Amino acid sequence: MSSKLNINVHHVTRIEGHANIVVNATDGKIEKIQWQIPEAPRFFEVMVRGRNYEDIQTIVSRICGICSITHSLAATKAVEKVLGLEVSEQVDKVRILMHYAEQLQTHILHIGYLAVPDFFGVPSVIPLVARAGDVVKTIIRLHRLGNEWSELIGGRTTHPITLRPGGLTKIPTEQQFRQLQQQLKSSIADLKTVLNAVLSVADNIPDFERETEYVSLRQDAPPTYTLYHGDIASTDYDGVVAVDDWKTVTNEYVIDQSTAKWTKWHRDCYAVGALARFNNNAELLSPMAKDAAKTFGLTKGCCNPYMNTIAQLVECFHIVETSIAMIDELLKKGLKDEKVTSSPKAGKGAGCVEAPRGILFHEYEFDKKGNCVAADICIPTNQNHANIQKDFESLVPQIINQGEDAVRQKLEMLVRAYDPCVSCSTHMLDIRFVK
Amino acid sequence: MSRDALGKGIVVLGLGNLLMSDEGIGVRLVQQLYHSADEFPAVDFVDAGAGGLAVLHHIQGRSKAIIIDCAYMGEPPGAIKKFTPCEVISTKTIANLSLHEADLLRIIDLARQLGQCPDEIIIFGIEPQVVKPGCELSKILADRFDEYVTMIHRELED
Repeated sequence: MSSKLNINVHHVTRIEGHANIVVNATDGKIEKIQWQIPEAPRFFEVMVRGRNYEDIQTIVSRICGICSITHSLAATKAVEKVLGLEVSEQVDKVRILMHYAEQLQTHILHIGYLAVPDFFGVPSVIPLVARAGDVVKTIIRLHRLGNEWSELIGGRTTHPITLRPGGLTKIPTEQQFRQLQQQLKSSIADLKTVLNAVLSVADNIPDFERETEYVSLRQDAPPTYTLYHGDIASTDYDGVVAVDDWKTVTNEYVIDQSTAKWTKWHRDCYAVGALARFNNNAELLSPMAKDAAKTFGLTKGCCNPYMNTIAQLVECFHIVETSIAMIDELLKKGLKDEKVTSSPKAGKGAGCVEAPRGILFHEYEFDKKGNCVAADICIPTNQNHANIQKDFESLVPQIINQGEDAVRQKLEMLVRAYDPCVSCSTHMLDIRFVK
Repeated sequence: MSRDALGKGIVVLGLGNLLMSDEGIGVRLVQQLYHSADEFPAVDFVDAGAGGLAVLHHIQGRSKAIIIDCAYMGEPPGAIKKFTPCEVISTKTIANLSLHEADLLRIIDLARQLGQCPDEIIIFGIEPQVVKPGCELSKILADRFDEYVTMIHRELED
């Protein structure tokens, strides 16, 4: 009798379609391996057409409830590029702090809610409460800090309201900055608790490597471990590409197995995200972040995609340590009241920031009245699809003899490591009443 | 931080995505309710959007949470139902592959397990007619909007 292996992890939503993991094999011979995922936010590009440049960042902040600050910042940078607006050093720093807030909250969520349960061998965070309740509470405390930090600077926990082309409508007071700084200092102990918890189960991180290209921002002037400024860099390329030329990097193409466009640059796929940033910029991390990386043996050139989660944890230390210093820099110069002014201008421009899960591009074109005539958004998840598929193709033959459950588990863990943007536009209830 | 200004005993949370037609009903309602916030000094009104797990923090430390969300309940479009989390079972399919997948009932369950859940949670579910990209409510929901506001006001007055 032949031995069949059929894995079909279906994620069915009413709106976007599905995200599936499909593996079919008979007697160890692989017949099909596919990562299938649909397009998610492209329709928002149509929705911003005809809207005024001042409204764009507010509209796109609703694309995603997890990365709303990131989308707003990328859009604001693109609009400012078109209008030729330069922001002050103060605005720049406060925006970076706003961006860090979101990075911390989503990294912590990803580590705590998706990755750590895998490492502990439990199906989700809920059973983890019984097994490691203190760790879960620590993770939630850190997530709460990220949320409150976002609210303090963005005006709201999600979907920020203080961003405007040319500046910010409101910034925190000196006292609020000092209070935030104190909370960040206190959070270092919590981050170390999470680090130790992850370290205690780090042997369960699959030992899988596949060389690929890693793409992220890089900032050379001054050299910075950047999530916000810089040009596009790659582990396969010595130079950098200007953000305006982002389409020469993404080279989007259509593939039958997915309604989402895939991307490629120097190879048939590339990866974006925390591991990509680490592989391009690790030497620029803060001291505590470097120590965290060392603890896990994470070094530049790592090509184990499961280690993306560890790179996120490393970035959490960098974010907290850098933010503490940045608040000192801001307050040393003294906070100033700054007016936000802008006027419409025709033109086209791109903006780019690192979303928690990788590099994000927004591009807009406006007419002379400042109304949007075209928009193009390329999210990190789309840039990772081809890389996930190639990981699957490399990993499955190595583990095919471990049985269906083990193969499914490792593939799901792999997808979770990338934390793809699945169905982020709707979160509505789907229920039946108990009789 | 700014959170200190909040923390009132009761919170009304509006959930949803304003760019997905009727899916944004919870946010639109809480934005409307905010205009009458002065009448309810013990209540925080929060546009929580599509923030998913952020709901955990919005409900922590409250005595009561009222959550307004779009819901597939098998009812005619526009129907509004008031229920508690114990009265329903989630039929949502989640692959648990991404933070972007959120299920309100699982978040409430997690809050309970952590001992961070309000004593009372009331959910107002509104059956959508249209859930697709768009910035407007369907006519059916738009026509009943004032009725929804009245129902939630009544809940707050009780």
